[in-house]
Amino acid sequence: MSDVAFYDFVRGPFLKFALFVFFVGIAYRFFRVIFLGMPPDYAKPKGSPPFMALKKIIIKPTMGWTFNEIFSRRAINFIGGFLFHLGFLGLTFFVPAHALLWKEITGIPFPTLPNIVSDVLAYAALGSLIALTIHRALNPVLKLLTGKDEYFANLLIALIIFTGLLATRWAGGGSYIWLVSLHLFLANLLIIYIPFSRLSHFVYYFLSVGFMGWNAGKRGVSF
Amino acid sequence: MAVVFSKERVGHEEVEKFYQFCKNSINTEVASYLEACVRCGICAEACLFYMGENVSGRIDPTLTPAYKADLLREIYKENYTLLGRLKKLFGFGLKIEPEDLKEQVRLAFYTCTNCDRCTKACPMGIDTPKLVSIVRGALTYAGLTPKDLADATNMSVEKGSPLGVDTQTFLQRIEFISEEYEVEIPVDKKPSEYLYILSSIELMKFPASVASAAKVLNRAEVNWTVSSLAHEATNFGVFAQSKEVTKEMLRRIVEGARELGIRYIIAPECGHAYQSVRFIAPNVFPEEWTFEVLNIVEFIDKMIKEGKLKINKKVLKERATLHDSCQIGRRGGVLREPRRIMNMVSEDFRDSVLIPEHNICCGGGGGVLVIGDADYYRQKAFISKMTLFDKAKAKTVVCYCANCMLALTKSSQELKRDYRFVSIVELVAEATGEE
Repeated sequence: MSDVAFYDFVRGPFLKFALFVFFVGIAYRFFRVIFLGMPPDYAKPKGSPPFMALKKIIIKPTMGWTFNEIFSRRAINFIGGFLFHLGFLGLTFFVPAHALLWKEITGIPFPTLPNIVSDVLAYAALGSLIALTIHRALNPVLKLLTGKDEYFANLLIALIIFTGLLATRWAGGGSYIWLVSLHLFLANLLIIYIPFSRLSHFVYYFLSVGFMGWNAGKRGVSF
Repeated sequence: MAVVFSKERVGHEEVEKFYQFCKNSINTEVASYLEACVRCGICAEACLFYMGENVSGRIDPTLTPAYKADLLREIYKENYTLLGRLKKLFGFGLKIEPEDLKEQVRLAFYTCTNCDRCTKACPMGIDTPKLVSIVRGALTYAGLTPKDLADATNMSVEKGSPLGVDTQTFLQRIEFISEEYEVEIPVDKKPSEYLYILSSIELMKFPASVASAAKVLNRAEVNWTVSSLAHEATNFGVFAQSKEVTKEMLRRIVEGARELGIRYIIAPECGHAYQSVRFIAPNVFPEEWTFEVLNIVEFIDKMIKEGKLKINKKVLKERATLHDSCQIGRRGGVLREPRRIMNMVSEDFRDSVLIPEHNICCGGGGGVLVIGDADYYRQKAFISKMTLFDKAKAKTVVCYCANCMLALTKSSQELKRDYRFVSIVELVAEATGEE
């Protein structure tokens, strides 16, 4: 297969297939949990559960930061996790090359980040990911909790960011198209992998934090 | 007439029962929590048991809250997820050994007080107490409740209270308190608007607390009573997660309260008692439960606001801090009230936490206090708690839960510390007295 044919394949049918698996998989996982149902709750709420659910969905990830002693012990998790998510989501949608692709797929124009910001985000995300992975391998609690899933996901994402950086910054001449294709290929693998792994936590975030906020509203606590 | 059991031998029948209970407890909320965990382990740092071990220089990763729900998570996966079901189909399913259940007893009953601090720190908002409660329920269903807890639970069903206080003892004790502390305590007064339900811990171990509550209720001039039928607010069914016991204990309260035409139930200084009458009872008796529930601290705050109670003096002179009861505070929403009261009754009140919901549990909640085998963990947990007292530079600690007071006093004595634990209601009774 020629380089251009491979590029066309990963950017065309393979990407479409990956997105199809992603949406079907995520919808399945989301609705499977929704359809399990809930028992009714007759206890009179003390506050406003819907308001708190919404509020927590917006601010929950920063709530842990307020526990000083937890923050100081786990700064790497909080700062690394924050930088990684910021970088990963920022890069996925708003890097000029990606924004173009999303516009092609969705028809909606995406705003683009200046190159320098994309670069900073990419290095921040890659650096945090490496730091988080090392932390995961060394911390006794994380060692106990971690399975193969986490390492595979981290490796895959690190490779994607790395090949993306290589393609846009360092590759010259003939290797460019291969690197972009490899980058796209790995990204497709990731998109397919998300519904089968803990990476789908972004869907459950809304449910689990929503419930937590709902309960906080029911109990009349503000935190 | 045992209702919950504490079997010595664990076999495959118990494993099967445990498995089925876990499987049947899954709903949208539980599944969301089980699915959402990203294995970040931040919850460990919020757990008082893990922290206590850590301060002592020993890291025990199995005390991580996320780990405590792992067996439940595996059971969920192989019954509700596509990949899990396929694995099970091809013979790669979960194999639970009887020893695993013994470990679950340690994780769910000895090293978790359902304090909810991990939920607040978790970036995914996972309500680990809810998951641990399911594991507890499954263990109880399999007959594996820890012996001390099972005995106390059965005692409460049989006699009416985990400490063995039956109606006759209750009436005698009320009479004694009434005479000893010179306070009028109406019994079975019909009709009454307010029903004050005590916990037997207060009745037997902190009688001054009961007398103080009575004084406060009298001074607020509300039409109140205690009931000889609904005389026990503690509900060990909640600790053991036995629906049967929970319902039986609540039934006595419903019947007692209805008989006296009660409108408001005042829960005592007892964490899970408040939890059970405020949030569980309406779901156990959706039709019959027509009462409004207030905790005694909520009641006092309300009476002060309405001008029915007047704080006349600051009775606590020395530096004091506040210990929050998790089930009344973090899980019950009564956090600002005790602080308002503290500022009124104490000359030098210093909070040990910036955000009230951050406070650390006493280490004896969730029934841990009564389980002898859990003593080691409770003492370790107290070390985490002590760091907060010391941060506030306070030797006097004000509590609003008798179980917390008992646990803190016990751990403090065992570790040879000289903290003094005081009930907030006693302070209010003193502060509302004559100038």
